[in-house]
Amino acid sequence: MGRFILADLRRLWAGSGIMVLLIAMAVALGIGITLQERALRLGSARASEKFDLVIGARGSETQLVLSTVFLQPAALPLVPGAVLAGLQDDPRVLWAEPVGFGDFHKGYPVVGTTTRLIAGTTTGLSEGRLFAAEGDAVIGAAVALAPGEEIVPSHGEAALGGHDHEGVRYRVTGRLQPTGTPWDRAILVPIQAVWHVHGLEEAHGTGEADHEEHEEPAGFDADAALREDWTAADLPGIPAILVKPASIADAYKLRQEYRVRENTNAVFPAEVLTGLYALLGDARQVLAAVAGAAQGLVAAALLLVAVVHIGQRRRQIGALRALGVPSPAIFLLVWTELFALVCAGIALGFLGGVLGATLLSRSVGRVQGFDLPIEIAPGDLAGLAILLVIAALVAAAPAWAAYRQSPVASLRA
Amino acid sequence: MLSLRLTGIEMVFPGLDTPALSIPALDLPAGAGLAISGPSGSGKSTLVNVITGLERPTRGKVVWNGIDIATLSEGARDRWRGANIGLVMQDFHLFPGLSALENVLLPARLARVADAAMIARARDLLAEVGLARPGQRIETMSRGEMQRVAVARALLRRPGVIVADEPTASLDAVNGAAIGALLIGLARQTGATLIAVSHDPALIGRLPRRLTLAAGRITADQMPETC
Repeated sequence: MGRFILADLRRLWAGSGIMVLLIAMAVALGIGITLQERALRLGSARASEKFDLVIGARGSETQLVLSTVFLQPAALPLVPGAVLAGLQDDPRVLWAEPVGFGDFHKGYPVVGTTTRLIAGTTTGLSEGRLFAAEGDAVIGAAVALAPGEEIVPSHGEAALGGHDHEGVRYRVTGRLQPTGTPWDRAILVPIQAVWHVHGLEEAHGTGEADHEEHEEPAGFDADAALREDWTAADLPGIPAILVKPASIADAYKLRQEYRVRENTNAVFPAEVLTGLYALLGDARQVLAAVAGAAQGLVAAALLLVAVVHIGQRRRQIGALRALGVPSPAIFLLVWTELFALVCAGIALGFLGGVLGATLLSRSVGRVQGFDLPIEIAPGDLAGLAILLVIAALVAAAPAWAAYRQSPVASLRA
Repeated sequence: MLSLRLTGIEMVFPGLDTPALSIPALDLPAGAGLAISGPSGSGKSTLVNVITGLERPTRGKVVWNGIDIATLSEGARDRWRGANIGLVMQDFHLFPGLSALENVLLPARLARVADAAMIARARDLLAEVGLARPGQRIETMSRGEMQRVAVARALLRRPGVIVADEPTASLDAVNGAAIGALLIGLARQTGATLIAVSHDPALIGRLPRRLTLAAGRITADQMPETC
């Protein structure tokens, strides 16, 4: 029977091939959407894992999260340095460290921060050492530079009309282990360097960061010693403060406190992301509906193909019956052939969907720097199993028609 | 070998006033050779369908060796036909993509009766009908060769009856004569009853009994002595 089916499929390879491709595309579409949406959720959740609480100035909460967790460039309003000093003295806080943005090198964001933040959010260095002087830089795992290289930061992305900071050079001293987050694409430098490069010393500016006025890298000294113990008095405005609360209760208290304070805002990135996921979920539903409609169309096309399939074989089936082949054998023959085609389509579609989602994840990951993990859930396989059962039932309809076909009528056809 | 007795056969199709086939009685002893001829529409195909169990007559008995196949269910008739009738059709009905040997074995395999002995027999039969390459793909064969494969397929299960429906009609004279000789020779050799529907005078001339049909009725039933 297998040889007969194979010979039959070989003879009608074009039609069979199109049928398999149609099924494969419909399945790939559905699987791809499901996997990609899940990847986006998992990936962003992992990216924000180490970011318990972010405190910034009043403004968009979403932007604060996108800028700190995903390093999306945006001009954030600044919080007064005193807020950082207050947090660092707060017993409810394990650590609170500043994050400063604005510069880039070859498309990689240059992020000003502290050794304590690096220790608190990464698993350590894969080579070299942490920064120890103002001109030292540590690169994320995905940055295409090597320790020992020197870089000149530019203010704003070069592609968007940024300009180089003349006279500023960072030495790459080490590379961090991969974290699977957008920070893998970051070049981390001492926050004091960012302040000096931008002339933001001594607590000036609590409003919108207006960098046009202070282009001079006034106090930048590559060899100056690293200083990370500040007092409220010598701290300039800061775009964002990452806070590690001592306990969950403290986290909620701090969030509440810094929400009601004038000019500060406190957000749980996870909470903001949950809101975004809801939006993502809605988008997924729309996409799923589109994919469902496409699958419906394919199913209709398949029924048509199945009818044609039987039509093409009417004489064959009639001849087999005339030669004494029992009708259950005919049923099995037609059913097996159709079901094999559907199975091939589903398998191909599943692989195609996973491959497509993986490639998309990879290309997004390369640009955005964070992993979009493609994970197959038991539910996906259950969905496939249901699809197979439906296919088995649908394939039975033309098989039944073939079973019922009178051998004489089909011989005359 | 099987004997046939038809009694009170009538085949009425919906919408037609007169029966497409009406045969009050016909006896065919086991091992006989019968040619059926008649103009198109005379009921030849209907008669073949009735005696092979492909169709159930509206009325009457189709008794093969004591079994009235008109009383059997469709499935039982399929099984009976598979086991007892070797069918050779005008259009061969071979399956492209399969070899000659696979074609000979296909119905038996699908009916789950093919064993090693049957596979060996299939090879012998192919040799007997004059085909040296059992592995040759069917679509690469000439029409004469194809009908030889169909003859080998018909004989595989040692049927008691060989029914050939216009076996030479789509062949040239040389191949037609060869196939006719092959059918008659193999039927004699196995003792099978041979029923051939044909317009081919050469084939009709080689069969001892000739039935002529017109408008669903037997108009002549001859047994020329010079045969």
